[in-house]
Amino acid sequence: MDGIRVGKRVIGAQSPVTVGWENIPSVQGGPVRRFIFTWFQPTMLFTLITFWYYAPNSIAKASIAIWVGFGLNTLLLGLEWVNPRYASWQLTWKELATDLFYVGLAYTLLHVVGYYIGSDAVADAIQRHFHRDKVMWFTGLPILAQAFLIVLIFEFGQYWMHRGMHNWYPLWLPHSVHHYITQLNINKGAVGNPVELFLIGLGIGGFYDFLPRAAVIAGAIKLATGTYQHINVRFNSPRWWRFLFTTTEHHSLHHSQDYEATRSNYAGSFIFIDRIFGTCVDGEAELLGMEGGRRMSIREQMTFPLTEGWKALKERFGRPSAVPAQ
Amino acid sequence: MWLCADRQFPAAEALVSQLHREQFSRVEDNPVNIRVIDWIWHIRGRLALAPGHTGNEAFDRLDPLFRQAGTSHERTDDALSFMKKDSAAQDKMSVFDRGAFRIESEVTGPVLHYHLTSRALLFCFLAPLLFISIAQFTVVTNKWDKAHHESHEKPVIAPMHPIDRALGAPVPDTPEADGSGAEGDAKRPSPTPAYVFAGIFAALYVAGRILEHRLVKALFRKRLLAV
Repeated sequence: MDGIRVGKRVIGAQSPVTVGWENIPSVQGGPVRRFIFTWFQPTMLFTLITFWYYAPNSIAKASIAIWVGFGLNTLLLGLEWVNPRYASWQLTWKELATDLFYVGLAYTLLHVVGYYIGSDAVADAIQRHFHRDKVMWFTGLPILAQAFLIVLIFEFGQYWMHRGMHNWYPLWLPHSVHHYITQLNINKGAVGNPVELFLIGLGIGGFYDFLPRAAVIAGAIKLATGTYQHINVRFNSPRWWRFLFTTTEHHSLHHSQDYEATRSNYAGSFIFIDRIFGTCVDGEAELLGMEGGRRMSIREQMTFPLTEGWKALKERFGRPSAVPAQ
Repeated sequence: MWLCADRQFPAAEALVSQLHREQFSRVEDNPVNIRVIDWIWHIRGRLALAPGHTGNEAFDRLDPLFRQAGTSHERTDDALSFMKKDSAAQDKMSVFDRGAFRIESEVTGPVLHYHLTSRALLFCFLAPLLFISIAQFTVVTNKWDKAHHESHEKPVIAPMHPIDRALGAPVPDTPEADGSGAEGDAKRPSPTPAYVFAGIFAALYVAGRILEHRLVKALFRKRLLAV
């Protein structure tokens, strides 16, 4: 394959990809269908922000936000059923059960671990040790500005962590298993090694004092933008949306079997961060995964970083094996 | 005997033969009758073939199902066994790890008997226990955290911004100083998600056990009886 030149790089030399919005197919059908799949994403974002901005204090809590997220995910699973992007990405019972296992781990065990040793706990400990207050003046900003700042701070950190995972072997080890997925479905974002999920969730937001409502709105912004990274639905996203936010197209390219394509589109929600740092490629791919599309079991997802890390250490620091005299 | 081994299974012949014997061993041969519980992850069924169809013809029609990545199979005139490892998500039989087929002549005509096993179904059956354990772990750690929690100074909340006041946003509540109160409890991980996922997996198992048998039977019927 010749690949396509994008800036100084050649994308798609190892696996087929499509580059350029003009080459990506749009949603077909009647005017109602096209309207729905054009305006669904902006409408959900605006609705969620408005809901959380005006909800009574008794409702504006993380526990309610989890149920809202569950409801949206269920709706999107239904959308995958009626308007799938690719037949090869359609969800089977086994894939749904596997995906939900990872989602369940994230909401339960990982959440407990994160509470005790996650970035917020570390930020708390550092502040108590150095007798510093949080940066207090943020609570005086407009709530929407606080929410945007929370997302921006987190996204910026997540972009560089993700980029580091693709460039530094010790970070690539826990992240590599996530790239064995061969489909993008709504819950596939959770598929991966728990160490990676923990690392990618770290952020420095804990050093700032934000209103709880702003944190909930920030979560809603993340939900209404970043959810579409892993989804088997085709949208006619408006031009401004795909300029600012990561779309399924962007993320499918990142998960492509083409090596150079995986070194693009690192941001979870704000693709404009990739545009700023020159790692954005507008395009899409259907063939995803690693090693020609080999599926990785749950057991191997958990152990692969350790086994591969051990092999790498042995190669680097182990005793050289005897070589017969020539 | 025909053997088709995927490149990942160069030595599958002996293993697949053993599998065929295990799958169709008689109940009275087993010292411990696990058939009382093995229905949890074993699927057995039968399908009448079209009149006049031989075993070879039937297996020729099913053959493409076993030529998938990660699949090896062994075949005789009236029996076929297969094994799958890391089968692709797009594989129509990916939920099954191993299985065996046998063609028998009955009064009504030739009948295909199949016996398939699925570790995915077994793990889905056991998953609620895992999540209930995680819920109990969460309860225990929360009790420990409550006993060791330090109180913090009461944080100062700045006045509401004029833009938020103009737009009619609700006034924020004053947070409590002592994290062991209601707010502290709200921040601690809750065991509720673990119970919810236990329920989800219980429902998922019931749906999967019924659905996967129907789907695979429909798949075999479509291939065997197609004109």
